[in-house]
Amino acid sequence: MALTTTDARVPGGAPAAETGAPRPPRRQHPLLRYISLRFGISILLVWGVTVVTFVVTNLVPTDPVNAVLGEQAANNPEIVAALRTEMGLDEPLIVQYWLYLTRLLAFDMGVSAQTRSPVADDLARAFPATLELALFVLLFSTVIGVGLGMLAALRHQTAVDKTIRVLSLFGISLPVFWIAMLIYYVFFYQLHWAPGSGRLDSALVPPPLVTGMYTIDSLVAGQPDLFWNALSHLVLPAVVLTLFTIGTLVRFSRSAILDVVRHDYVQAARAKGLPHRIVVVRYILRGASLPILTMSGLTFGSLLSGAVLTESVFSWHGLGQYAYMAAISLDLQAIMGVGLLIGVVYIFTNFAVDLLCGLIDPRVRVQ
Amino acid sequence: MGTHLAHLTGMKKRTIAAVSAGAALTLILAGCAATESDPAAEQTTLVVDSTFALSSMDPARAFEATGTMVNHNVYETALTFAGSDLSTLVPQVADYTISDDNRLVTLTLTGDSTFSDGTAVTADDVVFSYQRLQGVLGNPSFLLDGVTVTKVDDQTVELLSETDNPQLPFILPNPALSILQQSAVVDNGGTLDETDAAETFLTSTSVGSGPYMYDTVAVTTAISLVKNPSYAGEEPYYDRIVINNVGADTQRINLEGGQTDIALNISSDEAEQVDTNDFSVTTGASAATYYLWLNTDDAFGGVAADVNFVKAMRHAIDYDSILDVVGLGSQQPGGVVPLQFAGSLESDENNTYDPDLAEDLLAESGYAGEIVNVLYSSENAFAANVTQIVQANAAAIGVTIELNPQTAANTLDLFRGGEYQAGLANWGADFPDAANYLVFAPEGNIGARTAWNFGDGATADQIQPLAAAAAAASGDDDRADAYIAFQEALNDYGPYIPLFQPAEIVIGDVALTGIASNALWAIDFSTVAGS
Repeated sequence: MALTTTDARVPGGAPAAETGAPRPPRRQHPLLRYISLRFGISILLVWGVTVVTFVVTNLVPTDPVNAVLGEQAANNPEIVAALRTEMGLDEPLIVQYWLYLTRLLAFDMGVSAQTRSPVADDLARAFPATLELALFVLLFSTVIGVGLGMLAALRHQTAVDKTIRVLSLFGISLPVFWIAMLIYYVFFYQLHWAPGSGRLDSALVPPPLVTGMYTIDSLVAGQPDLFWNALSHLVLPAVVLTLFTIGTLVRFSRSAILDVVRHDYVQAARAKGLPHRIVVVRYILRGASLPILTMSGLTFGSLLSGAVLTESVFSWHGLGQYAYMAAISLDLQAIMGVGLLIGVVYIFTNFAVDLLCGLIDPRVRVQ
Repeated sequence: MGTHLAHLTGMKKRTIAAVSAGAALTLILAGCAATESDPAAEQTTLVVDSTFALSSMDPARAFEATGTMVNHNVYETALTFAGSDLSTLVPQVADYTISDDNRLVTLTLTGDSTFSDGTAVTADDVVFSYQRLQGVLGNPSFLLDGVTVTKVDDQTVELLSETDNPQLPFILPNPALSILQQSAVVDNGGTLDETDAAETFLTSTSVGSGPYMYDTVAVTTAISLVKNPSYAGEEPYYDRIVINNVGADTQRINLEGGQTDIALNISSDEAEQVDTNDFSVTTGASAATYYLWLNTDDAFGGVAADVNFVKAMRHAIDYDSILDVVGLGSQQPGGVVPLQFAGSLESDENNTYDPDLAEDLLAESGYAGEIVNVLYSSENAFAANVTQIVQANAAAIGVTIELNPQTAANTLDLFRGGEYQAGLANWGADFPDAANYLVFAPEGNIGARTAWNFGDGATADQIQPLAAAAAAASGDDDRADAYIAFQEALNDYGPYIPLFQPAEIVIGDVALTGIASNALWAIDFSTVAGS
């Protein structure tokens, strides 16, 4: 590398050439290097997702034109040809992919055959519904799941531990659609403690669109009644999904904390006579936070990718419902759009988790 | 260490208890808020649960059940039907006459209808709407195939068909032939050919003269309608209609829980369990015929292509068992034309349960234990149960059937490929006339799906002339006779076994009046009133 005439890093500010000292290699901050590397990998993964979603979607042996056209229209070659052109199916696959990729750069995901709307618009409507639910669920399942996992670990092999482990198994083992129907039946139909399906009461009009999340948008619009109504509609689907995700988090947290509790540095902290709160928060929780964080990230990613059955029972028209309808109606553009969005969500959730891991544990970013 | 742990767990326990209590309190408060929410206004609102089948709201492109239902309530057509009756045409935007040769329909505008902006519906609007339907090459464009639409004067429009078209007046009530306001559509990209770009506009804005108009439209979630202030007909009772996209499994709970006023997709099983003191169950005959089809080409149908095998299957099936499974209001049609249409066949001795006769016919067919593959859509509410009955009935006479459930898209693809052996399918009427069932003729669309048009020429030659005669028949009685003869021949030699017609079931609060189930558009909200 050629030396510059002015290198601010040379002590005294003298030009490096004049001092004759070799210029130290430019070193990026380890954290920045770590972020850059992770971001680069994420971008490559996103491209990979476009390839996979396109190829897999187009491997389906069924003709998507048949899924769109009625019997009479399907018998009219003129209509079939026009639709094939409209859907871009008259081009070779490689050209279709190129067109798909170039459109994506302009955030154009094509037009859905089932809604006749741009897929990007459909996703922009469906994703906030799922995101709102996922955030709510993540909050509750993390707080409760990690809390119960910690309690079980700290009460290892006691009745409390065993009870929590058995209960956590219920959440994992019971079919989510069954829990959803049961909870809906009991709390809406029998007890009238919760509102019915949907994101708002039918008589109410959604708040002006800001984020697409009704709880936030209603607050932004200064409509507290609407906020409470939206929040009340969140409760039952959130409880169902929390029950479903909490089991995994409890067991994972318990395992991670048990692993850390046995480490020498925890024993040493206790031996030093540190207060128990400090030992738990600074030593045990911090030590166990990486696997818990990773698990929470994966949970969040899976929640964002849609909970089809829960959304179906509660008429929660989020990403899961949209993906399901796209799949059964062979709506190729929508399937690719959902696949890409879910891929991106997972990639960037992992990216965020990696960053947090790097921040929490310096060893990670050095590696 | 033991002491430390005990202290730690005690502390954590309190923390966790506090957090859990906070979480539970939030949930309870939020839940309670539901009962305190104040529904928007004093407006009368009718809430309807429907499982959406909807792709486009543009009448020239909409072909699914939900779009058809909404468009019927938002737009007017030249002619319409009242209530459940699909046999009597009622003037709406226009009255009509048809020429003796069944080729010229003349529409005379009543002059009463006005669009929601207050302007009158004109002959130009009618011509534009029809020509646009033909030109955009959408799913329903075939409805006006071979028809030339011409404005005669400000009050008169002529529809001239290339061939005999006695069914044309019965096509005109289809919501695909809704009358749109030409100026609004053109201003928003509307044209008369496939370059038309008004679909997006028409998905958010209604430009019709029906009793309601769009309030908000979210095609995957909910559609709300409000009264059209300029509607020329009788003012509807409800100010606002909210149609929510709700899965069929949840609709009964919503209805009985008080969230919904009307449910459109409750299954017949559940409908029979609804308390009729609180809810009215309205059943109407659907215009869908479910039938078993068998491929007539030896190469694809194998033994199923044999006429005697088809006849054996006709007598092997226990039709009453199928009706029991399909449930409330279901019927067995004698032929492919639904029972409520003129020209339908009430019953046919070919389609009767007679296992002994079935075994004799099977022996004549040369069946030697081959597996017969039966395709069906796993998304269809009836298909799995019905095909299992067919499978069991076939097994009773010694025929082995292997069921092949597929998604609706795959089922359609395989069916239309014309190379699958056999399957369960249904045909829903595009318009209430027996002519819509000529697709079952050897040269019709369904004939192509069963490879009939390039399969067994002998039976095709016997039936195609009867189909042509039915298409050309004129006069109510002659047409009915011709379609009956066509269906009897289908039952004698054809590859279709008509199984059942399910019912259209609409369940509503018992306090509601004016609910009528319609096989074409499900329900007319403008006739529904509260107590």
